[in-house]
Amino acid sequence: MSNDYILVTKEVTKRFGGLTAVDSVSIAVRRNTVTMLMGPNGAGKTTLVNVCTGVYKADEGRVLFDNEDITELPPYEIYRLGFVRTFQIPVPFQSLTVLENVLASMKSDGENPLIAIAKSRWIKHEEGAIRKAFNMLSKVGLSKFWDLPAYKLGAAQLKMLEVARALAAGAKLIALDEPIGGVDPVYANRILSYVRSLKDEFDASFLLIEHRIDIALPYADYVYVMDKGKIVTEGRPSEVIKNPKVIEIYIGE
Amino acid sequence: MEVIPPIVLYILVDFSVYLIITLSLNMEAGYAGLPQFGRVLSVITGALVAGAIPGRILALLYGYPHGAEYASYEFNYRIVNELNIILEQSPLLSIGVFLLTLIMAMMLGAAVGYVTSRPAIRLKEAYLGITLLAMGDVVMLISLYYSPIIGGTTGVMVPDPFRWVGPYRFTAATLVLLTLSIVVLIVVERLTKSPFGRALRAMRDSEVAITVYGRDIARLRTYALIVGASIAALGGALYTFYTGGCIASTYTRLTWTFWPWAFMMLGGTGNNVGVVLGVLLFVIVKTFIVTYRGVLAPYVPFDPVWLEYTFVGMAIILIAMFRPQGIIPERPIFTIARKKIERIFTTLETPEEIRA
Repeated sequence: MSNDYILVTKEVTKRFGGLTAVDSVSIAVRRNTVTMLMGPNGAGKTTLVNVCTGVYKADEGRVLFDNEDITELPPYEIYRLGFVRTFQIPVPFQSLTVLENVLASMKSDGENPLIAIAKSRWIKHEEGAIRKAFNMLSKVGLSKFWDLPAYKLGAAQLKMLEVARALAAGAKLIALDEPIGGVDPVYANRILSYVRSLKDEFDASFLLIEHRIDIALPYADYVYVMDKGKIVTEGRPSEVIKNPKVIEIYIGE
Repeated sequence: MEVIPPIVLYILVDFSVYLIITLSLNMEAGYAGLPQFGRVLSVITGALVAGAIPGRILALLYGYPHGAEYASYEFNYRIVNELNIILEQSPLLSIGVFLLTLIMAMMLGAAVGYVTSRPAIRLKEAYLGITLLAMGDVVMLISLYYSPIIGGTTGVMVPDPFRWVGPYRFTAATLVLLTLSIVVLIVVERLTKSPFGRALRAMRDSEVAITVYGRDIARLRTYALIVGASIAALGGALYTFYTGGCIASTYTRLTWTFWPWAFMMLGGTGNNVGVVLGVLLFVIVKTFIVTYRGVLAPYVPFDPVWLEYTFVGMAIILIAMFRPQGIIPERPIFTIARKKIERIFTTLETPEEIRA
């Protein structure tokens, strides 16, 4: 596959017992785009992302990230390469502050106890990391809450915290699992516009998993529609929305 | 003979030793979230080093029996008495033996921590807790029934590195212990207020997330267990030197695992300052109960020997029920001064915020 694509799946299949959750799915995410994966509940969107990020092992097919085969890699190796997923239900470090949540996503030499004891060996790096973390937090509108423990944040804020953590960690591709799930339309729009500006600013790519197409579609560059484990159709948002199969899935026959 | 009243010395010694051990527990259980129910294992490791090694080294140097017979009850008190006469005349040798033993205790403690980290990589929660608890009991029982190490059920005497101080031996030893416990407090504070401490707390909060963010939790657990065990071993060795004797039956899981848990829970899990307070309060109350239980005897319908245990047990239950976070709960931790962070913050511009 050419260098234009950050993520490519080749006929990926994942089965759970008799159920084929993902059935020979091939998608490609172009660099510096917001690519949307839409489909009704149970279509296999989250499972596909879990296979891509190493949470589940693919039964068949290959996953390529940045021209590298990552099919067999464990999650932390895939993270190391720059492919990060955020969780459908955000998993913050509850008792850590908002700032610390971002800091924890960045590595430091001071995590080795022998180095941790000598503050002079990690303080410079730490200050740089704090500056970077604040920069990220301000980009997602959370810098004002930097010293709050994460458990005090609301659902939308937690999702943006996830994005900040991922970007701070140097992610090239972020899989956002339902970033606007359970969020009212005004803030949903704001979150999605943050995503678009982050894409430009950090030259990052986003794989957006959503079923609320009414709100999310205008923010996508390219769309894949999934149903019952298969890709039903793909294309630009304006084309996809007119596709009879999509109308059938969402509105019924 | 002593300038400080014995009851104060008693409190200070218990406070110092238990502070060291409870801080090590807090790092593993409070920060890293590990079910460390085998704290006694590394404490007894330190005690074994102090009980078995310095005496033998000195015996070897000065031509006394140093093999299995060193720990025999027939010879041990005679050998150690001779060694103490030598130590009494040589402050330098005393200090050297003392420091060397502490270093060895910490190193062996670290090794024991590494060994316990092997099952800790695969086991979780209750299973890990039970495994650690069993490991502690096994080492205690082996030391108790295999006499060539530290004399089995009769124990051994330990060469006294404080004897040269003279009549104020106990005061001096107490102050050394107290000083070292404050050093440990400073070291543990530095470790926990660092990226290392943050990584441990992050792992405790969500193992899945910290793995996704590129950390190897097996390595983090190993670090925590090694550091914690080596600190606890230091505590065990110091206690042994202070008491001047070492007998395995002292090192029960009640006194060296569950009491530190109670102290930590009372003071504040995940808060080192809380631990200081918890240990101090418990030790004071415990000491007064032990000292005055004779007075209380007519008012309790059981042997007052059990008052101490009843008190600690009750306290654990009450804390768990009414204040599980402890007297001083965990607070947000800043690796660098809050003011400095705020200065970094104000140099950056801030766009509109999103609401909860």
